[in-house]
Amino acid sequence: MTPFELQEPDTLAEAITLLDPDDPAVRPLAGATALMLMMKAGLFQPTRLVSLRRLDDGLRHIFIDERGELHLGALATLSDIERSALVAEHAPAVTQACHTLSNVRVRNVATLGGHLAHGDPHMDLPPLLLALGARARAVGPHGERWIDAADLFVGYYQTSLERDELLSEIVIPSPEPDTHATYVKFTALSADDWPAVGVAAAARHRDGVIVDAKLAVSAATERPTRLPAVEAALRGATVCADTIESAAEAAARSVEPLADLRGSSAYKREMIRVHVRRALVTVTRS
Amino acid sequence: MSALRQIAFTLNGRAVTADVAPHHTLVEVLQEQFALYGARESCAQGLCGCCTAIVDGRAVSGCLYLAAFADGADVVTIEGLADRNHLDPVQEAFISCNAFQCGFCTSGFILMTRQLLEQNPDPTDDEIRHYLSGNLCRCGTYPDIINAVHAAAATLHKE
Ligand SMILES: Cc1cc2nc3c(=O)[nH]c(=O)nc-3n(C[C@H](O)[C@H](O)[C@H](O)COP(=O)(O)OP(=O)(O)OC[C@H]3O[C@@H](n4cnc5c(N)ncnc54)[C@H](O)[C@@H]3O)c2cc1C
Ligand code: FES
Ligand code: FES
Repeated sequence: MTPFELQEPDTLAEAITLLDPDDPAVRPLAGATALMLMMKAGLFQPTRLVSLRRLDDGLRHIFIDERGELHLGALATLSDIERSALVAEHAPAVTQACHTLSNVRVRNVATLGGHLAHGDPHMDLPPLLLALGARARAVGPHGERWIDAADLFVGYYQTSLERDELLSEIVIPSPEPDTHATYVKFTALSADDWPAVGVAAAARHRDGVIVDAKLAVSAATERPTRLPAVEAALRGATVCADTIESAAEAAARSVEPLADLRGSSAYKREMIRVHVRRALVTVTRS
Repeated sequence: MSALRQIAFTLNGRAVTADVAPHHTLVEVLQEQFALYGARESCAQGLCGCCTAIVDGRAVSGCLYLAAFADGADVVTIEGLADRNHLDPVQEAFISCNAFQCGFCTSGFILMTRQLLEQNPDPTDDEIRHYLSGNLCRCGTYPDIINAVHAAAATLHKE
């Protein structure tokens, strides 16, 4: 790794002033796991990193507010989230996704904020947060704003965050009663690899009819992507094999999978079809 | 620009200081400044666990962990497990089960096994495989490692 300057500010406000809206060689640093991989590979040569680990506001909170919304601090580690009883109760699909996300040592250090802000389409939680209708709180020099998870990921390793904006927390709204959500991770190289395809689904059905459905795919695509047309077709449809099969087919046709060492575009398209089907079967089981 | 800074931390129960640059990793500092070679870099990307160290009670990959982050922390390496006369029960179990060949991966597996047994004193084979999935043994001693984890669990139950 090439040398750089490391700042460890005590407050969020100070951290923001140390960032530079115009300089890509200055970046925030949380668990450092993703940035270390890039720096070791020579893909990123920072001049200054602004560590968030000493922030006095902590930003490691996990709580449910009076409206039943789950708040996850941006500096909560993936292990904190994996082991939280509140998360298991409120968003069990998130707990489930954390179990197979990377390995124990990475989860012990990696933070939710870093996981999302990296904009890496191969991360496991973004598609699930899309399907759960989550939003992110971002703080910058001019105050804070809320970003819908669906608007956070704008391209390959690209988010809608400004260079001098920091994620402070993620909020998962209280699910409608009887909503079932799941994340299906398909790995192609080894069982505990990064995903080759990630599919997240959340749905609610009554009297055999789908009332609401949210669907997102990732890893094979350049960014985690909601599939609104497929969701619309599912709404009002009867829960049956045909409905699910045509939704899976439509999902596979609606994205442009990227070829890489985990598979060709055609192979990944087929895997999207298979795993969308599995995800929908899971969330429409009574 | 990358001036050395002094960090102070506890290393295997002893208060120590080290002069580190921001881009130094924990495994580099353990080796170069403390001559501790139990944590060693193999994959260098978080996958294999050969560089495992315990920081404030949690296992980390020393190859992806900035040494600067150890400032103020409690760091334990494989060298800190045994006292003068006794190996740790997990170390004993790995020996009695022949759970290594070359031994390059062993310090990581032993530290991870201790973490596992702290959280789950009586794991199943599947739970062991899952917890240790971030540790790789190129000699392929996995079946013996699973036996060793069970053996260590049994010893710890007796204690
Ligand atoms: C061996 C290995 C295997 C992995 N396998 C998987 C896998 O199977 N599935 C998966 O999903 N992921 C996997 N990962 C990726 C892992 O999830 C990420 O590395 C991790 O979540 C990043 O979090 P961090 O806190 O370490 O981020 P950092 O490396 O600290 O930061 C990542 C990015 O986010 C920015 N950033 C950090 N915090 C903030 C903030 N609060 N606000 C704004 N910007 C911020 C940084 O500037 C940087 O660009 C793996 C990683 C490793 C090393
Ligand atoms: S060398 Fe650090 S995990 Fe492989
Ligand atoms: S004993 Fe040789 S790598 Fe595991």
